[in-house]
Amino acid sequence: MEYVIQAVDLTLGYGNDEPVIVDANFKINQNDFVFITGKSGSGKSTILKSMYGELEPKKGDLSVCGVQIKGISTSKLNLLRRYLGIVFQDYKLINEWTIEKNVMLPLMIGGFSKGVCLKQAQKLLKHVKLLHKADKFPYELSGGEQQRAAMARALAHNPVMILADEPTGNLDDYSSEVIWDLLKNAKEHLGTTIVVVTHHIPPTLGTSYKHFFLESGVVYEVS
Amino acid sequence: MKSLKNHLSVIFPLFVLLFSLQFAFMSDEMVKEFEKKLTNDYTIVIVSPKKIDEAVLMSRVRDIKSIEEISSKKIIDKLKGNISAKNLSLLKVSLPKFYSIKLKKFPSLNEIEKIKNRLLKTKMVSRVETFAKTHTKVYRVFLLLKSVSFLFLIFIFFVSFLLMLKQMRIWILEHKERMEIMSYFGAPFWMKSAVLYRLAIVDSFISALLVSVIYVILPNLGEVKKFMNDLGVALPKFNLLIDGGFLLGVSLLFSLFIVSIVIRKMKTV
Repeated sequence: MEYVIQAVDLTLGYGNDEPVIVDANFKINQNDFVFITGKSGSGKSTILKSMYGELEPKKGDLSVCGVQIKGISTSKLNLLRRYLGIVFQDYKLINEWTIEKNVMLPLMIGGFSKGVCLKQAQKLLKHVKLLHKADKFPYELSGGEQQRAAMARALAHNPVMILADEPTGNLDDYSSEVIWDLLKNAKEHLGTTIVVVTHHIPPTLGTSYKHFFLESGVVYEVS
Repeated sequence: MKSLKNHLSVIFPLFVLLFSLQFAFMSDEMVKEFEKKLTNDYTIVIVSPKKIDEAVLMSRVRDIKSIEEISSKKIIDKLKGNISAKNLSLLKVSLPKFYSIKLKKFPSLNEIEKIKNRLLKTKMVSRVETFAKTHTKVYRVFLLLKSVSFLFLIFIFFVSFLLMLKQMRIWILEHKERMEIMSYFGAPFWMKSAVLYRLAIVDSFISALLVSVIYVILPNLGEVKKFMNDLGVALPKFNLLIDGGFLLGVSLLFSLFIVSIVIRKMKTV
């Protein structure tokens, strides 16, 4: 596969409103670390949503892992999402489930046995320093801890790509640093492609990255 | 506590629905039973100047189930002391024949009229007494009860349906976030909605069991037995396997159908 993501004249928007992104053209290679920045309302989250198929292109093409997002069927979208790891600013953990079960979710969907799911979840929870809180529920954890758990969940099934929407937006410096380290390690050690929507690129990331900047609906690649 | 409330709000409409469904079946059975009883009790009396050929009469009026001659011996015995033996023997010869007729089913007023006309047309019968009015009045009351219970069933079904739909919407709101999160990781439809289906199945079992227990106990209660005896009607027996199984089937079908339409209506992310 040449590109993990390829956008050709991509136009995105909601309903009959003015498009948020107009005629965007960009490519993301495997193992790229990509930042998407821009002012509030510039379309950063919109572009990320289209990458995991929540929003279909109004015009143009967007292919993710070789799959066209435009007109994608539910079953194909489900299949595509099993190769992705998504991290949200508001964590999106299932409140009725323990942290351990939350981390197990992508593996359960992948059809792995309970033993495999449990072993992998514990390994990742140890990695994000939350193993001692495996049986806690999300509401019993701090914001930083919840985001670490969400990161563990995103990494659980060794995804091809992690799509993160302002993953450190609500976190303190320590938790933010942990999240950046996890993302950097995923890129460097697992070969995962990372796409992060953020307001600020961390100055001490310690790995090479691409930077897309959004303004007035146009996507600029900053060199 | 919240979970119990959730269960109860599904169990309640299902319980009401199944209870009224079984009640409607039961009242239908009772009306049928009563109809049989009325038919057995109901007789038409005919008068004929001479002995009639029962087979011929039955072939001409197909509604007749049986014909029985009413003995005139009682009347003759009563008059024995008042009139002479000669007149008595004359009376014996000239006295018409009386017959009691039983019908195959309990007729309506129109049907009675038709039967009466047919009997008179045969020329074998000189007079017909149908005693129809009293019986028809009672039967009509029962038919009214039957219609009322049927209308009641439709109403309850509708209300239960709405209650269930409302509850399912509450469930969807409660489970929406979980289902959305599962969608983001590519969960198939069955996995996302498994919790709701499980709840619907469990609640269907509980509701069917509760209604079955009530209908098993009900006919054995002293007060109910006395009331039904006074009415002269027996309560139909509840067969746990057949009737209970039927109620469980209806309950499952109904709840699973509603869960499915609500889930299908839910917007996917």
